Amino acid sequence: MMKARLFSTLLLLGIVLAGASLTRSVSKVPLVGIDRGYQPVQPIAYSHRLHAGELAIPCLYCHGGAEKSRRAGIPSASICMNCHRFVSATIGAIREEDARAQEEKRNPKTIVSAELAKLYSAQGLDGELQPSAEHAVTPIAWKRVHSIPDFVAFDHRPHVAAEIECQSCHGAIETMDRVRQEATLSMGWCVQCHREMTGRTEAGKPVDPPLDCATCHY
Amino acid sequence: MRQGGKTGRTATEGPGLHRRDFLRMTGFAIGATATVGCSRGKEREVVPYLVAPEEVVPGRAYWYATVCGACPAGCGALAKALDGRPVKLEGNPGHPISGGGLCAIGQASVLSLYDSQRLRAPLRKRERSDWLSVDTELAAEFDRLASEGGRVRFLTDSTLGPSERAAIERFLSRYSDSRLVSYDPLSLSAIADSHEQTHGRRVLPRYRLERARVIVSIGADFLGGWVSPVEHTRAYQAGRRLDESTKTPFSHHIQLESRMTLTGSNADRRIPIPPGSAAMILAQLADRVARHTGAIPPWSTSPSAPLDGSTIEEIVRRLLGAHDHHALVLCGENDVVAQRLTNYINELLGAYGSGSNMGTIDLHQPSRQRVGSDAELLELWRELQDGTVDALLVRGVNPVFDLPFGEALAPLLDDLGLVVSFADRIDETAQHAHFVCPEPHFLESWGDSEAILGIAALRQPVLRVLGHTRPLLESIATWSGLFASAREQIRAHWRSMVFPRAKGSADFEASWNKALHDGWIDVGADEEQDSRFDAAAVTTPDPSEEAAPGEFIAELTPSSTLFDGRHAHNPWLLELPDPIAKTTWDNFASIAVSTARALGIEDGDEIQIHDDAGTTLSLPALVQPGQHARTVAIPLGWGRAGTERFADVGPQWLEGKPTVDAGGRVGTNAAPLITAHSAGLSFRARRVKIERTGRKRELACTQRHHTLTVPAGLARAGHEKRPIVREMTLENLRHASHAASDHGAHGHPSLYADHPKSPHHWGMVIDLSRCTGCSSCVVSCQAENNIPVVGRDEVSRSREMHWMRIDRYYSGEGENVDAVHMPMLCQHCDNAPCENVCPVQATVQSAEGLNQQVYNRCVGTRYCANNCPYKVRRFNWFDYPREDRLQNLVLNPDVTVRSRGVMEKCSLCVQRIQETKAAAKIGGRAIEDGQIIPACAQSCPAGAIVFGDMNDPKSRLSLLKRDPRHYTVLEELGIKPVVGYLAKVRNRTERAGSNERA
Repeated sequence: MMKARLFSTLLLLGIVLAGASLTRSVSKVPLVGIDRGYQPVQPIAYSHRLHAGELAIPCLYCHGGAEKSRRAGIPSASICMNCHRFVSATIGAIREEDARAQEEKRNPKTIVSAELAKLYSAQGLDGELQPSAEHAVTPIAWKRVHSIPDFVAFDHRPHVAAEIECQSCHGAIETMDRVRQEATLSMGWCVQCHREMTGRTEAGKPVDPPLDCATCHY
Repeated sequence: MRQGGKTGRTATEGPGLHRRDFLRMTGFAIGATATVGCSRGKEREVVPYLVAPEEVVPGRAYWYATVCGACPAGCGALAKALDGRPVKLEGNPGHPISGGGLCAIGQASVLSLYDSQRLRAPLRKRERSDWLSVDTELAAEFDRLASEGGRVRFLTDSTLGPSERAAIERFLSRYSDSRLVSYDPLSLSAIADSHEQTHGRRVLPRYRLERARVIVSIGADFLGGWVSPVEHTRAYQAGRRLDESTKTPFSHHIQLESRMTLTGSNADRRIPIPPGSAAMILAQLADRVARHTGAIPPWSTSPSAPLDGSTIEEIVRRLLGAHDHHALVLCGENDVVAQRLTNYINELLGAYGSGSNMGTIDLHQPSRQRVGSDAELLELWRELQDGTVDALLVRGVNPVFDLPFGEALAPLLDDLGLVVSFADRIDETAQHAHFVCPEPHFLESWGDSEAILGIAALRQPVLRVLGHTRPLLESIATWSGLFASAREQIRAHWRSMVFPRAKGSADFEASWNKALHDGWIDVGADEEQDSRFDAAAVTTPDPSEEAAPGEFIAELTPSSTLFDGRHAHNPWLLELPDPIAKTTWDNFASIAVSTARALGIEDGDEIQIHDDAGTTLSLPALVQPGQHARTVAIPLGWGRAGTERFADVGPQWLEGKPTVDAGGRVGTNAAPLITAHSAGLSFRARRVKIERTGRKRELACTQRHHTLTVPAGLARAGHEKRPIVREMTLENLRHASHAASDHGAHGHPSLYADHPKSPHHWGMVIDLSRCTGCSSCVVSCQAENNIPVVGRDEVSRSREMHWMRIDRYYSGEGENVDAVHMPMLCQHCDNAPCENVCPVQATVQSAEGLNQQVYNRCVGTRYCANNCPYKVRRFNWFDYPREDRLQNLVLNPDVTVRSRGVMEKCSLCVQRIQETKAAAKIGGRAIEDGQIIPACAQSCPAGAIVFGDMNDPKSRLSLLKRDPRHYTVLEELGIKPVVGYLAKVRNRTERAGSNERA
């Protein structure tokens, strides 16, 4: 009987504490299905800060699906190879090798950074970017960061057409080394924007965002 | 539960679980679930292409023109490929045969692609083998046959493309004694045979129904299972236009038939005739027509007269009075005597045309859709019985199943030196084959087709072959030692044989690309051939002996859903209600109303059908209005081997019953009742007796489900019959300002203010005059919207999930009935009764007039379905989608797969609306009228369904909404449905039937 009373007391205490934390800040209690802040480790440590931030490559260069399809898409390795056929390591590492080669009076070797080696290996290429039997062709399985349930049909195209900044939903992606989910991606979050952004977008495009259920749910 | 001790309870104190324990456990469970639920579930991966194919954007649909391979009709199809796999087939609007329509069978054939029971590798003596060993052995075997003068026969149906035909002929030329034998299980051989006798050319003419002003069909179900249903439906409706702008003539269609066919149900006049009397009636008709036109009939004594004088005079008057002599007589009998008489009448009527006058029958560009020869087949059968065949190759047909002598054929195949089957599964014939060399599905392989002479069409693969199947072209090339890929072979054949026939174009590559893009090219007809009519060949039939009382004629009919049985493994088609009988998951023996009454038979009674030869079949009975009293009609194509697999389709629960009986098959094969006589196969000749077995075999029939009729006793006096389908005569429509709608009569005031709908107000109009009831929309909707298959038991509990159903209404009694087909789907009412009763607002009105169903909000109270006057809402009683990974590849990723406990219904293909809007937005365009086509409207061969924006006064929809024939169903309820109907118009003088019943 004592044990039961103790158990009940603890349970009650738990409930009170949970309630208190809820009232303190709703946003900080993770609700079911909300993955804000999710930041998985990716198979290749690709940096958006470097590519989108420092090098200022337009988002649509890699995620071109955003204006052609419902999905923005993850770029194929062949898109990476447009540049990385020539750029196989950081400029610092290449200069270092150049200097060392001059010192040792030899031709500089191809320097491949550890992360790009993974990209080449996935395509069955060796350190000299030549096809090699040692490296099996294996597609790159990225970890999905932004994910919405199957009963939601989100379409990138109207948002691109309305010139909504990618950052409005994906956060300051150009500052992230590893991508993190910034928005809640909850329905309330979607609808808030659809309610507030009437008339014109920040870019000055006239918009009339729909609020019908069947805009996303079908 | 704690045991022992002073405070403990013993089991004798009460039930095992106490209230407090229960509460504690529940609390813990909820807490645990909440904690676990907060954390992110399994990590999801995205795997992009390594090297993306050019122009392929993930998530975007690509359409490829191809030729439907579901039957020999050769309709043009567009395959929607999404992320590397086809998910939907639609009609190719630019195709000259099908013109944008695609039938239910064609629509469903995409599901067969993902059938897990298709063979993935060749078989040798029923054991899995590989191509190398099979090829080695077969090449040696064929070399031996060639050197030893082996007798080789190749058995196919009419589906052969020109390249395949050429390749087979080349392959067979190696043997001194070889022959290509083609037959069709649903044979129409007599039409071609009769033309050989009367016109000197063995051709199946192309019937141009769009030119016919009067059509008299004697048992030809041209809108159903006859030569080319999509082509004929489109042409038939092209000759029956009611647009205000074009005052085109409206054809008059008389159907004489002994059972209720889809065609008969659409006729202006339907005359029930005794089974087997077609030839006699044709002789009588020919005699009368000859007398009227002043021709001298090739017989001296007038044939006997099965039809009464006034009826035949009426038919003759109509035929001869046809505008510009555009009359057409069709005969559905596979009987050369009857077909010769048909040719004679058509010749007298000028239907074959002359000079510049285009006739209703085209011999210049004849059809190749069903030109198999019964005579060739029977010759082969004799050879097999005599043992004078050494090797048999079987492709596209299943003779052990679909021929009356199939049972006798099977042991002969076992004794044969070599039998090679190209079947895609171990079917009845493949069971007796030494080698099975499976072919890929038509969506996986290259192919060509020339279903109508001069219309050369290409088939292209839409995905890589699943497994290790190989096209026929490659198989026989390998065995001849000249391997070339199917594509190379087709290109070579087109370059040398097909392309040179197209006059005017010089560049092969350009016309090849055009054929690939458009799906077809015009290569012109053969040079004009002289085809003089030879009246001497025409003879009158021998008077058929009267059947003894109590005897019936078994009429074997094509299955409306399975064709000749080749689609018996397709669950969409098995669950598609028969357009007339509305049965699913079984075939039946239909008997006339009067016969049923006389014999005391009811729907679902098992009856035994036996003939003098000792053939006995047991089938569930179906009482069919409109059928002649002496007919017993049985659909063919059911009862295929391997359909035992469907026993556990649908949910498995306590009260669930299996879809097939223990160890049984889906349906019963009626092929043993086909008669094979010296002239060919006859489907309407067998005299049978029927008797009740006393057992019940309830048919899963959807006719009484979701009915709009008010139960007797609940209706207000004078309102027992609701005017759901409305009919009028052509005369009424043209000469009186007759409106179908009774607006104003029901001007209900509303408590609510009108909700303005902007920028669009979507709506739909369905023309009941154009709808033939073919049900292609039902399957198209199923494919587009991921509608699950629920199985026979669930269907019999009114739980079929089809968002679109076709209600069939009869008016009249006994043999003389009219039928109207009414597609019924969510009517998207502006004042929707379902919306008011939903406690969680899971169904709400959109700003554009759609009645939206939000699955993630629905809690499954089912109030909405109860309050829907049209009964179009469907509830997921179970988790219907099955864990079949291969089959699930057919699911449309643009539409949610619904889970258990959720209500669903037609969304007017909102995913297509959204897709068009998104594409228009990014392109900076406005949406044009006709750009959004829902799945049902796209597939309709008759063009009966029009979708559009009611806010645009110039849209085609708005035009139709103003048509005097327009009305809405149950408009007296004041719920303002946006789906409207156009009244059914029949070209007859008497008043249209008005007392319809469900």
